[in-house]
Amino acid sequence: MYPFGKGAARIMPYLLLSIPVLLYLLLGFGPSMVTVLFSFTDATGVPGQTWNFIGFENYTTFFTSSDSGDRIASIGRSLYFAVAVVVIQNAVGLFMAILINKKLKGDVLYRSVFFLPVVLGVTVSGLIWQLLANPLGGPAQALLNFFGTSSNFFGDYDIAFELIIFVQIWMYMGYSMTIFLAGLQSIPSDLYEAGYMDGASGWKAFKNITFPMIAPSFTVNMLLSIIGALQTFDIIYVLTGGKFNTTTLAFDVYATAFGSGTSDYGLASAVAMIQFVFVFTVSMIALYYLRRREVEM
Amino acid sequence: MLKKCFSLLVVTALIVVLAACGKGNEAGQNGNKKVTLKIIHWQQENINNYIKGFNKKFEEKYPDVQVEYTTVPADSTYDQLMQTRMNAGSTGDADIIPLKFSFVGAPQEWSKGAADPMWKQWIEGGLIADLSDQAFIKNYNPTDVKNAMTYNDKVYGVNMGKVALTGLFYNKEIFEKYNLAVPTTWDELVNVMKVLKDNGVEPIGFGGKDVWPINLAVQGLQASIHDDQLEYIKGLWTGKTKLTDPVQLEVLEKTQILMNNAIGGFMGIDYGTLPSLFASGRVAMIADGTWDATTIQTANPELKFGYFPIPGSNDPAKNKNLAGKYDMTWMVLEKSPNKEYAIKWLEMLSEKQNYTDFVNAAGFLPTQSDVKISSDFVNEIQPSLENFKLSWDQLFINRKNVGQYIKEASVHAEFLAPAGPLKTPLELAQKSQADWDAAAPK
Repeated sequence: MYPFGKGAARIMPYLLLSIPVLLYLLLGFGPSMVTVLFSFTDATGVPGQTWNFIGFENYTTFFTSSDSGDRIASIGRSLYFAVAVVVIQNAVGLFMAILINKKLKGDVLYRSVFFLPVVLGVTVSGLIWQLLANPLGGPAQALLNFFGTSSNFFGDYDIAFELIIFVQIWMYMGYSMTIFLAGLQSIPSDLYEAGYMDGASGWKAFKNITFPMIAPSFTVNMLLSIIGALQTFDIIYVLTGGKFNTTTLAFDVYATAFGSGTSDYGLASAVAMIQFVFVFTVSMIALYYLRRREVEM
Repeated sequence: MLKKCFSLLVVTALIVVLAACGKGNEAGQNGNKKVTLKIIHWQQENINNYIKGFNKKFEEKYPDVQVEYTTVPADSTYDQLMQTRMNAGSTGDADIIPLKFSFVGAPQEWSKGAADPMWKQWIEGGLIADLSDQAFIKNYNPTDVKNAMTYNDKVYGVNMGKVALTGLFYNKEIFEKYNLAVPTTWDELVNVMKVLKDNGVEPIGFGGKDVWPINLAVQGLQASIHDDQLEYIKGLWTGKTKLTDPVQLEVLEKTQILMNNAIGGFMGIDYGTLPSLFASGRVAMIADGTWDATTIQTANPELKFGYFPIPGSNDPAKNKNLAGKYDMTWMVLEKSPNKEYAIKWLEMLSEKQNYTDFVNAAGFLPTQSDVKISSDFVNEIQPSLENFKLSWDQLFINRKNVGQYIKEASVHAEFLAPAGPLKTPLELAQKSQADWDAAAPK
């Protein structure tokens, strides 16, 4: 009952937990609160520079200055990115999970291959795709040349952002797959047997048995990919650096704080706050609908 | 046993927390131990190699010093590193930090409301050491000291030299093969590109993926087409000139012609591959700064190449001179615990012989007088450098929170077809002017 013994030792778990809580408050929660504070100031982040409270000026700047159009476009791009990633990544992940769940020969190999990009990390994945898309003799270019056409890939306004979406999906589909697979494997096989008796097989079995049963993993996957997609910054940084209309709201936070030789921590904090509200709202709406689906089942 | 484990945990946690908050580098001040002199820099192979060799010499002269030399990519990665190290203050994360250019870009009386550049904020925040009284500053030309290293009558940096960036590297063998002379007017340049294309040679290469290398060519055109760039920039602030003026439209039109003659897929080529693209003979010309001459030479020691100012105008007199900037300015951190050694490092680098070696390794034009340049390349372009002008990016002062069509470098040819989505120069010019007007201080 009490793994740490009786008496004074009972407070042991609390003491142990207090260490990560302390670290979190110091390194996670604290800085977040400072961001809130900074978003109402004209702080530059340079030591020795004075800073003043300027009320909502940073927020007004976000919505009314010369580059507001670009900023609002980047919010739109974040949404586009999120929808594309959430739909395609989960569809592909679910499809692969179902195939692997068929107890194919060598399913372990498939699992590791599809999960590999998650382990590789963003920089390595970015490098791989940049090498593949190298316009001077890269394999992708050679393939296009074969069909009598060519492309600038990550330097092309028309497709750079879509290519980033593709790489993001490629990177994380194995992650979705793994979660779906865990869900699929928790479904008792007698459900399918009973369903088979009642004449449910193939698509019907999927719609009426599999899909409702994996509702919890569906919720987890949707939420993780929505939040992940809305916060994506790293892969954009590696592949295009935000050029060629590939800036998203999350990238904008970075660009405002560190980009182009000036640092405006006040404005960057305000952008971060707007980003927070945006991600929070979208995920809450998604959570509401996803949870309702789970309950109905 | 359990209690022991527990206290061990608490102590470890405390150490982690304290180490994160406490001041590092205490050991460095201890007399017995070695002082670590930390220098950050951007990646530029020829210069990095020289500095590494110089650091060894420095360590021999000062045996109690160990130099830690960190280099990162020259793009925004370096800007960010510089910013974080500078903001870390006295924790000893860096002692010497070079600026990519000199002290330019401070708001003028005609640019009300412009943002302060980082270096100005750093100096005003008391982060940069005042070097005015150092004897070695006298090694440098007084005019260069005034133009590049001084702010508010005090010397805050040591500038290592000038570079030209408004020209094109050209492959002499390809030019000879097709009987082409170095073009001195725009029409001649157009003809050169036509002859090359007719013979199946790719005329020009750009590092389009990084965007800014295209802007080098744009700056070449600006420098030769505008009569007075500074007057035009001042006019933008007062409303006397517009980005849609014929002179600026001419710059964009000619940029578009250059891009239409560029190698296919140039928007996917990054700046790092540009020298090897040129050195391998796949393109006849590239838009790049003089600092890459040594890199090209290393990539192909057999290659014969030269450099000429981009002739934007049809008046050869206006095309004669190269424009550029003061490159690399070393700054010592005021709160550095090793300030003394940092200054000694600069002192030694400024000694005539070391400085000469540096300039020759870097391919810079010296800011010290009587420096013997061994590079044939630099000696050959000497005539174009006699009336060296500052390039557009060194003169231009931008407005705050300005839209993407005129952000940072101010001319964004990458939005223009064939690189980008905008078909005509006029479209881009109008969008830039609209962004500029919308950013006007209220």
